[in-house]
This record gives sequence, C-alpha cells and structure tokens, in this order.
Amino acid sequence: MKKLADLVIKLGYVDRRWIFLIIAVVVMYPLFKPLGLPIRPTESSQEVFNTIEALPQGSKVLLSCDYGPSTKPEIHPMAVGVLRHLFEKGHQVYVTCLWPDGQFMARDALDQVAENEYGLNYGEDYVLLGFRPGNEAVIKGIVSDIRKMYTIDSRAIPIGDIPMMKDIKNISDFDLLFSASAGYPGTVEWVQLAADPTGITMSSGVTSIQVNEVMPYVDAGQIKGILAGMPGAAEYEKLIGKPGIGTSGMDAQSIAHIVIVMFIIFGNIAFYLERQRSKKTF
Amino acid sequence: MFWKRQIPIAIVALVGTITLFGWFIDQPDIKSFVDDDATQWYDILASFAIFLGALNLLKLQMQKIIKRKKGWQYSIFAIGGFLFAITAGFLMRGAYTVNINSVGDTPEVVAQVMAEETEFTTNESEVLLGLIDDDSPLPLEKVYMTGKGVNKVANKIIASGASAEIIPENWGAHLTKKDGLFNWMFFKVFTPLSATMFALLAFLVASASYRAFRIRNFEATLLLVSGIIIMLGRVPIGSKISSWFVLYILALLLGVIVNSWKSNKILTFSTVGIGLLVVTIAGFYMGWPIDKPAFAYLPSLQEWIYLVPNIAGARAIMIGIGLGVFATSIRYILGIEKSYIGE
Repeated sequence: MKKLADLVIKLGYVDRRWIFLIIAVVVMYPLFKPLGLPIRPTESSQEVFNTIEALPQGSKVLLSCDYGPSTKPEIHPMAVGVLRHLFEKGHQVYVTCLWPDGQFMARDALDQVAENEYGLNYGEDYVLLGFRPGNEAVIKGIVSDIRKMYTIDSRAIPIGDIPMMKDIKNISDFDLLFSASAGYPGTVEWVQLAADPTGITMSSGVTSIQVNEVMPYVDAGQIKGILAGMPGAAEYEKLIGKPGIGTSGMDAQSIAHIVIVMFIIFGNIAFYLERQRSKKTF
Repeated sequence: MFWKRQIPIAIVALVGTITLFGWFIDQPDIKSFVDDDATQWYDILASFAIFLGALNLLKLQMQKIIKRKKGWQYSIFAIGGFLFAITAGFLMRGAYTVNINSVGDTPEVVAQVMAEETEFTTNESEVLLGLIDDDSPLPLEKVYMTGKGVNKVANKIIASGASAEIIPENWGAHLTKKDGLFNWMFFKVFTPLSATMFALLAFLVASASYRAFRIRNFEATLLLVSGIIIMLGRVPIGSKISSWFVLYILALLLGVIVNSWKSNKILTFSTVGIGLLVVTIAGFYMGWPIDKPAFAYLPSLQEWIYLVPNIAGARAIMIGIGLGVFATSIRYILGIEKSYIGE
C-alpha cells in the first residue's frame, strides 16, 4: 500500500512534458478516427435556430464577424453554419467586421458557403462591407446611418452601386442581427448600442469563455439564444442537418475534457496522500 | 500650461456633457452630433491611433535591438514581419489578373499559353477563347502577386498573337483578394501562428489543472466540482454518462464526508451502504433512464449552473462595472479625473 502511495505521490510531480504528450495523443486520435459521439442541442442553440427559422423569406440579416484566426476553430463553424441556414432560406446577408481579422474570416466563410456551395451573386444575395476601425463608434454609425460609416465595401465597390444596399439606411432596415464574436468589441457592444436601443432582433455565437458574460442578456431576452463555443457550433450543425468542422471537433474536445478531469482527480489523490503523510510526520 | 491642461479638460467636459445629453434630450442637432459627427470623429481618431500604435511598436522594437536587450533577436522577426505586412498592405497591390481582349490569328498558340497558366486543358482553353467578343474579354482565372510575374504572362500572351490587358486589384480590395499577397500572408503565416499560440492553451490548461486545481478549502472544492460538471456536461460524452453513475459517486462521496467528520468506520460503511442501496432501489423503480433524475444528469446540471449561479454572478459583476463606468464618466465630465493628460 505504501509503495502504491509513493508511486501516486511521485506521479503527482510527473514532468509536464508527459502531460503534453498525453494531451496531444488523445486530441489527435479522434481526429483520425472519429468516435461519432451524439450531439444534443441545448435550449439556447435551439432558440438561435428557431429565430432564424422564423424569419420570412428574403429577410435582410446583418452578420458581424468579430473574431480572428486564434478563435477560428470555435467561431468559424458557427458563422459557416449560420450562413448555410440563412442562404438555404433565401435571406440576404450583409457582413460587417469590428475586428480587422474578421474581414478575412468572413471572406473565407462567404467563399466557402455563398460562392462554392450555393453559387450566389455578390451584391445581390450577400455583401461583405468589411472592417472599420472604431469599435463602439462603428456600431453607433451603423445604427444611425450605415452610408456614413461605409462608403465602399471590402471590394472597393461604392455602396451606392451595390444593388442589395439600395433600401438600407441604418440598422432598423435589417430583420436580424447575428454577432459571431470572440471578445471585445463584439456581442456585448452590439446588444448595448444596437439591439437594445433599436429593438432589432439579435442572436449570437460566442467563444466558451465569453458565455458567462453574455448569458445575462440571453436570460433577459435581449439576445435570442446563443451558440456557446465549439459545442454550440456542433449543435447548430446538427440542427441544420449539415455536420461540419464543429461536429468533428467535438470528439476531440470530449476526450480532451475527460483526460483533463482525470488529471484533476489524480492530482488531488496525490495531493491528499501527500498531505496525510506530512500530517503524520509532524 | 493653458493649452495643455485647461483646454483639453474643457473639451472633454463639453463633449462629455453633450454626449450624455444626447441620450436624454430629443433635440435633433445634439442627436445628430452624438450619433453621426462624434462617431465619425472617433472613427478618424481611431485610424490615427492605429498609425501611432504601429510607429510605437517599431520604435520599441528598434530600441530593443539597438540596446541589445534580452530577447532582442525576436525583435528582428517582429520588425521583419511588420515591414513585410506594411509592404504587402500599403506599398504593393500583390494581386493582378490578366484579361485576354482578343485572340488574334493564332488561337491554338494562345490556348497553349492559357493551358500552361491555368488548370484548363488546351482544348478547353480554345473553347473559352472562342467566347471572347468586344464586350466580354476573358479573364485568366489566376491571381499574380507581383508586377513582374503578371507582366511576364501578359507578354507571353501578346507574343502568341492575342491582345491582353493587366488588371490590378483596387486598393483596399487587394487585401482580401484570394491568392493575393496580403491574403497569402494572412492565411499562410499569420493564421497558423495565431492558431498555434491559442492551441497551446489546451496543453497549459491540462498541466496547470493537474498541479494547481486542488481541494484546499470549501471555495476551491466548489470551483473544482463546478468546473468538472461544466467540462463534462458541455461535451457530447457528458450525455453518455448516466445520472445513476453520478448518484453512485455521490453516495461514495457522502461516505468520504462522513468519515472526515466523525472518523467512525461503522458509520461510514453504513452511510455508503445505505446510499448505494437507495440509489439501486430507485434505479430499479425508475427503470434506469440515463437522464433521470435530472439533477444528477451532467448536461442538465451544467445548464443549471450556467443559467442560475453563473448569471447571478455575471449580473453582479456587470452592475458593479456599470456603476464604476458611471462614476468614472462623471469624474471625467467634471474634470476631476485627469489621467488622460498625464495627471
């Protein structure tokens, strides 16, 4: 028994590189050999789906891509999933970015979905307005007069020459606002400066770490549902019936979480044994 | 001193007051100032701030290299990357295409050149070249990053007897042009580097949780248990863990608590035994459904944690921040807070 306790305590001080190796192996394994774990949509993901589903055909949707490459694995599958749903239903999508990186992410998602999958026309079915510096000021600009904020789009086409911009003056001309956000500026700023003052219906997809901050707005009904991190993306893919990168990433995340929990439990057993031993010593 | 102190304070007080009143007074001019003009001023200032930030970065990194400070070698990469991004973004378009306006007398030669440059075969290229007329030139579906590269191709096409025109991408649009230089830099250099940095978090979290996530006191235990429930309940594998399994663990944990409290073996074993028996009887009675009772089913439990204690805590923090922002704003407007002028 003493030898076992010694071993457990010794393992409690195992070189961190062994932990890194174990994590690398368990994350990689499901990526090569998917486990096909079931995805169960939560109420908040279902609400996002229902909100988009309830839009009348041909609605105008403002999608804000406020994330970058570091959070791409979590947010990009959401943006892609939401775009698929919107285009499937025949809505028009207007994309803005509060983050400079967001413009590239949005372009990537639009190329994949609007151009390659649905063969839609730029300027008629979707438009990428692009990035503008100014954080909250950009949101306020879009709320009051979008043409003052955007004189040209991301392709340097004058706004007046874009057919789908014809009837758009400010945020009240949109039927839905969806914020795909990884931090500041993002969902919270959109609620405070756009959705709340104007009453426009808003939905959101955020990183797991941001959920705590955004949940009060969802609970109060200021945001209609939320896609929370990669699980949220996978749930949305399940809801629209188009599994993608979010779904495939969930197996890896599941196993990684299990291993981390096991590490925590094992670390605590070692800690407990060590404490008991030191109590006996003194 | 007057220009450096009183004037900035007066500007902040005036603009702050007007902006504040813009929310409460239905006066079109003030509203227009707050919603449009002030917003645009901020937009312009923010653009200059980016410029100043870039210059500051350059200055600090240069100083680090010149003074040979610790890790100065990394600064070389920082400046190199910065200069490359500036060049690709401001000085070079990095995205050119070629339009073939007319084929000339030797379409088969032009088709051969086109086949070399694109993914089309010579036959497919000939068909496409046949579609050219005065109003619709044929764009080569390839983006060239340098002027030299695009000139070479255009000259090749012209030498084969056709008429070609180089089309540079518009400034601004050149940044996100697929296969353009800046776009290449973003997706092939910045994206993998950025994703790598973020992905390292998984390893650090695993290592840190192994060493630091310890049951030291009641608060730490609460945090640990909530963390485990959230981690397992959020992922699909959590929905595969039966609530009865969780209940059995709870029965065992109850034994641990009783043992630590009373240090009585009979009482401990009795508690564990009764707990296991109760769970088993309840399981047989209810038919062992995986998600019932809901309070022991991890996905339901994590949802409750998100919706009840988490929201309560988040609201408390938000209210605190709101009050803090309000107090600080008032201090700015009244000229009490002067940190922005270095006081």
